[in-house]
Amino acid sequence: MAAIVKETQSIKEAVAHINAIDANKFTRLLSRILQKLHLKGERSFSEDEEEKLQTALAMEKQALHLVLETTSFLLEQAVYHNIKPASFKQQLENIQVAPDKAEAFCQAWATAGPDVVEKIRQRIFAPKKLEHVGWQLNLQMGQSSQAKLKAPHAVLDLGVREEDESEHLQNVFVEFSHKELLEFYNKVRLHSFSFPLDCLANAVSHDTYLQTVTHSFLFISFFHSFFLSFAARDDSGSAGLPYLMSLLTFVRANPIISHCYLL
Amino acid sequence: MAEHVGIFGGRIPAEVETLSKDLKDLDKELFRKILKVVVSAVEGKDCGEAMVEIGESGSLSEEKLSRIVSGLFKLLREALRFPGSSVKQEGFKEDLRELRISEEFIADFASVVFGNRRSALDAAVTQRGPRLPSLMEFRWRVDVAISTSSLARALQPSVLMQLKLSDGNIHRFEVPVSKFQELRYNVALILKEMNDLEKRSILKIQG
Repeated sequence: MAAIVKETQSIKEAVAHINAIDANKFTRLLSRILQKLHLKGERSFSEDEEEKLQTALAMEKQALHLVLETTSFLLEQAVYHNIKPASFKQQLENIQVAPDKAEAFCQAWATAGPDVVEKIRQRIFAPKKLEHVGWQLNLQMGQSSQAKLKAPHAVLDLGVREEDESEHLQNVFVEFSHKELLEFYNKVRLHSFSFPLDCLANAVSHDTYLQTVTHSFLFISFFHSFFLSFAARDDSGSAGLPYLMSLLTFVRANPIISHCYLL
Repeated sequence: MAEHVGIFGGRIPAEVETLSKDLKDLDKELFRKILKVVVSAVEGKDCGEAMVEIGESGSLSEEKLSRIVSGLFKLLREALRFPGSSVKQEGFKEDLRELRISEEFIADFASVVFGNRRSALDAAVTQRGPRLPSLMEFRWRVDVAISTSSLARALQPSVLMQLKLSDGNIHRFEVPVSKFQELRYNVALILKEMNDLEKRSILKIQG
């Protein structure tokens, strides 16, 4: 596997400092950094805590910063490549990290690593994100222009958070009558919407993404056309066959897809 | 019905009281035209042109026309307040007779209130009542994040939704897959509750 970090001058310096730290303290340092790794923009330690660390590890401010930043960087690279613990240990030893520290890295990564990767994976970029779904069901009994109503209607409260405002949740209220809600539900659960979503959710657990992406879309279109041909068949029952045959020839002709299907 | 209250509940508005006088010598065709304009006004459509046309036909003074229109409008609005099922046509016609409106006009009126345009009229009236914004247009997109600056292989699907509301606002936001499932579940739950409510209210809350 390609090296996840190049051995620059500052890396060499940082590694020298890291090797000098006591093993237990280093393990605690690692787990703390891993906890906060997925939060962007937040430092792993507050000002006070950094000062205490300086005295605890007997390091100057600059050296401490270098150590913290380099450790974070190494862990971030591990996340980026989703590296295996053994491979990680090997790479660290390649940049002259002492064996016991490399072991500490490896252990911490093995225990907390997958969680961190999952948390970072869940983070999505968007100016606005849906955070909260609330609702209220009312039975409208009357109105200034209509007496004796019995119309149920629902209000959906969608809590949307802006990317940069961590406190302020914007509420979007949308009202639906029974008929409108049924239309909305059909749109939201329609096969053309949630079918690819469910398909992709299963498919992306594999590593070869090209195969799975084309796999899922081909899957959808194949079944779609399969059902279409069934729906279109006449009493002889064979009208759908030409459709399927042409689809198969198309699939065979396309090198990428046929590789996936070994046709 | 044991007690016949009448569509105005005992207090007849001033415009409707004077209606009988104005309608007495009114031409039937003209009445029908005015009634049509009033119906489209209740539906919320713009009837400025139609009104101008009637005014210019010359047979009515402006003052008389405006009195007739306001009386008819008020009468129609009150008549539409009650759902079609709870008002008997005969009772309604009785009320109109008490107002001393002639028979043929009553027949026209009854055909509007109890005819097949009634449900369209009701729908238009409900739409114009006070409401929170409702959904005009709903568009979506499914994305898969292949890689990001933090992860070489992310493969995380997400949904982008765009809601256009009736008050003109457009909301566009990203929905993580878990929240999308929650939204689907909640909408299904509300629909189930609505169905239960409607079944129950048929049995308990009567006219």
